[in-house]
Amino acid sequence: MSTGTESEVEPELTQPASGTDEAELEALLGDRAIAREEHLNAPGFVINPNDVQAVLSDLRDEAGYDHLSCVTAQQYEDRYESIYHLKKFADPTDELSIVVPTTTENPVSQSAEPVFRTADWHEREAYDLIGVEYEGHPDLRRILLPETWQGHPLSKDYDQEKPQLVTLTEHQNPIQPDHREADSDTMFLNIGPHHPATHGVLHVETVLDGETVADVEPDIGYLHRCEEQMCQSGTYRHQIMPYPDRWDYVSAGLLNEWAYARAIEDLADVEVPEYAQVIRTMGAELCRIASHMLALGTFALDVYGEFTATFMYTFRDREVIQDLLEDLTGQRMMFNYFRVGGVAWDLPEPREEFFAQARDFLDELPAKVAEYHDLITGNEIFQTRCIDTGVLEPDVAKSYGCTGPVVRGSGVDYDLRRDDPYGYYDQLDWDVITRDGCDNYARVLCRMEEVEESAKIIEQCLDLLEEWPEDERDVQANVPRTLKPDADTEIYRAVEGAKGELGIYIRSDGTDKPGRFKIRSPCFSNLQALAEMSEGEYIPDLIASLGSLDIVLGEVDR
Amino acid sequence: MNAATTTPLQSDVLLPERLGDLTGLNEFGLAGELLSTLIGAVIVGSLILAMTAVAGPWAKRKITASFTDRISINQIGPAGIGIIIADAVRMLSKENIIPENADRPAYDLAPIVIVGSALLGFAVIPMGSGIQLADPEVGLAFAFAVAGIASIGLVMAGYSSGNKYSLLGGLRAVAQNVAYEIPLVVTGMSVVLFAGSLQMSTIVEAQAEPLVDLGVVAIPQWYALVNPFAFVLFLIANFAEVGRNPFDMPEAPAELVAGYQTEYSSVYFVLVYLGEFLHIFLGGAIISTIFLGGPAGPGPAALGIVWFTLKIWGVFFLTQWLRSAVPRVRIDQLIEIGWKGLLVLSFANLGLTAAIVGVIA
Amino acid sequence: MIGVLKSMATTMKHALDGSTFTVEYPSTAPDVSPRFRGVHKFSQERCIWCRQCENVCPNDTIQIVMDDKRNGEQYNLHIGQCIYCRLCEEVCPVDAILLTQNFEFTGDTKHDLVYNKEELKSVPWYKDIDPLESREPDRGAWIGEGDGEVDYQ
Repeated sequence: MSTGTESEVEPELTQPASGTDEAELEALLGDRAIAREEHLNAPGFVINPNDVQAVLSDLRDEAGYDHLSCVTAQQYEDRYESIYHLKKFADPTDELSIVVPTTTENPVSQSAEPVFRTADWHEREAYDLIGVEYEGHPDLRRILLPETWQGHPLSKDYDQEKPQLVTLTEHQNPIQPDHREADSDTMFLNIGPHHPATHGVLHVETVLDGETVADVEPDIGYLHRCEEQMCQSGTYRHQIMPYPDRWDYVSAGLLNEWAYARAIEDLADVEVPEYAQVIRTMGAELCRIASHMLALGTFALDVYGEFTATFMYTFRDREVIQDLLEDLTGQRMMFNYFRVGGVAWDLPEPREEFFAQARDFLDELPAKVAEYHDLITGNEIFQTRCIDTGVLEPDVAKSYGCTGPVVRGSGVDYDLRRDDPYGYYDQLDWDVITRDGCDNYARVLCRMEEVEESAKIIEQCLDLLEEWPEDERDVQANVPRTLKPDADTEIYRAVEGAKGELGIYIRSDGTDKPGRFKIRSPCFSNLQALAEMSEGEYIPDLIASLGSLDIVLGEVDR
Repeated sequence: MNAATTTPLQSDVLLPERLGDLTGLNEFGLAGELLSTLIGAVIVGSLILAMTAVAGPWAKRKITASFTDRISINQIGPAGIGIIIADAVRMLSKENIIPENADRPAYDLAPIVIVGSALLGFAVIPMGSGIQLADPEVGLAFAFAVAGIASIGLVMAGYSSGNKYSLLGGLRAVAQNVAYEIPLVVTGMSVVLFAGSLQMSTIVEAQAEPLVDLGVVAIPQWYALVNPFAFVLFLIANFAEVGRNPFDMPEAPAELVAGYQTEYSSVYFVLVYLGEFLHIFLGGAIISTIFLGGPAGPGPAALGIVWFTLKIWGVFFLTQWLRSAVPRVRIDQLIEIGWKGLLVLSFANLGLTAAIVGVIA
Repeated sequence: MIGVLKSMATTMKHALDGSTFTVEYPSTAPDVSPRFRGVHKFSQERCIWCRQCENVCPNDTIQIVMDDKRNGEQYNLHIGQCIYCRLCEEVCPVDAILLTQNFEFTGDTKHDLVYNKEELKSVPWYKDIDPLESREPDRGAWIGEGDGEVDYQ
């Protein structure tokens, strides 16, 4: 469980940790660091493409950078570049960027997969979209785009106008008989992309030995909508903000918007009025409750099967939140409520009515949570199904870069709201929930308790908003009509989304649109751990584990 | 106790015979007997099918909706009851899509086996008001036997569909039926020990005797009251046998898409779907007969069929209740509960009952 | 076993209290909040053809055609492509384009969802809510202009 020490040290570390141990890091890296770079969030070291594994494992083992948060690849005029955004689970403000440039002619760089398991998918994505090749990667295939795709869409020489025509004969024939390994004892089973339990269009290639799962490989990309590219062609000021709602589209819109808002506000140095921060905090926590309700309901579907009471009850409660959010933002899911430097609107008039509705919801919540405990977690059959299934050990979870309720259910005390404070969280009284079970049950309980913590936060926000002096209710800072951050400023900023750490990397190129916009999706990293959790267990456990990860394919595929 | 004095309508004369008397068909010897049996079977069959028609498209939705705080069907007819006709038209007019890889005769036969096995079981059930087609001395064994045939239908459906999910569902059905058939029959045996007969009518009559006489009301000697332990065991085994929550392994929506019935559409789907309800009702009918006094209830004996229907619907309602409230167990847990739990308990129950009956006797 | 019974009791409680939270949609029109963003309504009277809405639109939903004297000729909006972000309303200096609360619209093909300025003009108000007034009461409302609901010109 929590060691408690981070939270005590934390106030001194609110500054970006550029000053911490740079001398030590320099000593550790020695002459492997060929140059220095400065990102707004972290110091950067440029290293040779052949030193990636050595540098990252030294940093992990000796300097404590045990969280490979994200891998960003991009192409400049003269080079390709991979950036490894490193953090510490114990203190996510202590960040470090490892920049690995490669030549345009020969974009080959050493893979980080042997050091951090999470690099597997991240590097595949970089290869798929940018075209950087990773030497020593166990399985460097395309991940988001089809195998037959021509070119790498985010590279400089890619022709976006050219249609991608792949004939059926060139492609794998979907209806040809498939007798792979006909004499083996195992059975290959496609779970998805059309299957009731995959929570969207996910394809899980499963090999079964009887009812036991022998091998699992999630195949993603069915819902890839070029979100990064779309953000790269929108202006910072207005046109990017509507899109984060569509990453994790089920309920968590405001949390996603905050990820972009935080990145751009730090990049463009915009100060957000405190009043707006309180509204943001309240809205984001409402979204978190809605999202966790949905997670609970769909998990119940996976374990119960069919339309169960739990699913409808969670939807009933989520509906109340959606009504509140509709009053606040004007839309039930695609909010577009945050603006750079604040929020679009003040609370709806009459304010008393909004407060009353919100407080009614909060008053009823404990009874509802108690009902869920009666209905779900107290049920012995539910317990036999969930306890000790889908086990995810803390070390494995860290190596896969799991975050959010998934890693907190494995006993890792990591929550960006507290550890890397933003918004109004650090001035409110609430707790980070962790659970030691490492299993499906722990993750469910973790979410249910987080709902109660979110309710606490909302309650405090409501108190603050009610008493806020009328003449200080600034909902937006004075932001220029066009934002043009200095060229080649780079920033990686993350917030605690409903599913975990949702990070945005932006490199500005001096125009009013980002030069590179990279989304670090929590679901993407969490989903990687599925194989680790379900191999050797039964099919029902695979389905339950998938449900307990609470993925949204819109965010996985982006 | 003499049967004739308690329920004259019930067991003395079977439905075909009475029909024969009424219509005068008895005069025509064997042919007439056959014809009157056929008419009786049609009456009973229609009754049961009418019940499933109400249960499948309408009652199931209404019950689930009330558990989940929804409104559900209410547009056609009072309380939406007209949906039965609408659904029938809709399902029957759909294209019957048969997968290319289907193993034809088996694929076509499976729905018939599933439905037929359940309907056969009703032949020996005394439904009160004189409705019983046959009353062989091995009635209970017959009911168990034909109900067990359903699992062959499930395997056929699962195997012949040429779909891996169906196959998994079919295999689960076998494992499950083998594991739960034995506890089911063994627990049923404990009732036979009480009644001293396998004949359905005798079992029903034996339950008519009062257990406790409170003066105003006499609580009858229903075996659910005499041996509640056996009743609970039988209920659980029955849920597994008919594949309902928490034991809906062969179907397992969400895991196996829809299990053995994944590839069925149109008429075949209707049959498979009705088959499920028929089996729930057959399970309910057996439970009512051997544990709940069959058609017994207050009021004149002619009301027997009403009481009997209510009891069956009670069991059906329980399945729907569990469906909305109880998670599904895992296949290995299901087998474990069956072999290590229910089987042992059912034998213990049998032994205990035998000892008690022996001592009393 | 206690837990199983408890869950059964919980669902039974819901079955017995008889309350429902779903609505019969077509017969009971749902209440939408004043800020809700539905189909657009456009007023040629107010529009000054500054093209700000066209510029701010994140996915090129709005298309404006002007003649060589910068007089507006066409104002087309693809309501099937629109993501209802309300940025056009936000940047409009004269409140010429509004998002009404109306969310009920259909089309047989996606081309039916391309609205020109006449179609945009005749989009009905939903339950007579004037979005402008309910969102920002200090700005002039649309309803009340002219005689009828739609007849603001």
